[in-house]
Amino acid sequence: MRFLLTIYDDERRWASMGEEDAKAEIDAYWAIDNQARERGALVESGGLHPADSARTVRMRDGEQSVTDGPFAETKEQLGGFYLLDCESVDEALEWAAKMPAARTGSVEVRQLMDYEAAGFPNPAEEAARPA
Amino acid sequence: MRYMLLLIGDENQWENLTEEEVGEVMQAYEDYSRQLTEAEAFVSGEGLQPSSTSTQLRLVDGERVLTDGPFAETKEQLGGFYVLNCKDLDEALDWAEKCPAAAAGGTIEIRPVMDYEEAGYDDPRDSAEASR
Repeated sequence: MRFLLTIYDDERRWASMGEEDAKAEIDAYWAIDNQARERGALVESGGLHPADSARTVRMRDGEQSVTDGPFAETKEQLGGFYLLDCESVDEALEWAAKMPAARTGSVEVRQLMDYEAAGFPNPAEEAARPA
Repeated sequence: MRYMLLLIGDENQWENLTEEEVGEVMQAYEDYSRQLTEAEAFVSGEGLQPSSTSTQLRLVDGERVLTDGPFAETKEQLGGFYVLNCKDLDEALDWAEKCPAAAAGGTIEIRPVMDYEEAGYDDPRDSAEASR
């Protein structure tokens, strides 16, 4: 089962942090990356640039509108994500509890869709599969 | 440069679609993902289960506090994402415009992914790769 962990935290905290503290926190994330990779759970991970760097795109009547800033203004901001392959939701929650942001912000855990199981296989993947 | 595209739309829309219409939407995403792959822009892309299946976790004094549901209750919900490799923001915006979620009246949020190396924090993943 694959899960998306989205990490929410007050990004102003980073601005007020000393370089040493920032390095310690980033190193804690690298340690999670390495552990998850060793366990074969890590699919992908990434930190995001500050929320004010976001652009939001909408198409209305074929016209594109682009606005600055994130979709939703929140007290805590989306700052990064992990895509993990886990045995169960409990394992995903264990990974979530290891995130430094779990102590200062929150981590949202959501399972990915299995489109193949839902009857919508990707034809390109089907074609690539040996007969 | 990597960009994350967050696909945000009214998830209740899916309930009102016939099976045939759902098939058409899925086909549109498959076509879109194929275009991304052919352009070597595709890094990853996934759909998420409904926002009601979300769990939030916080540690309070080292103890887990779990809450059901998404972090933010919004009129439109996060339903999926793509991570794309693009040369600049303009290319990422062009891809966002082509995304089926945009045509369906949803919203796409585009945000650059951090390059920690450039920011002066060595990425141990790279040294692990290099030693292989």
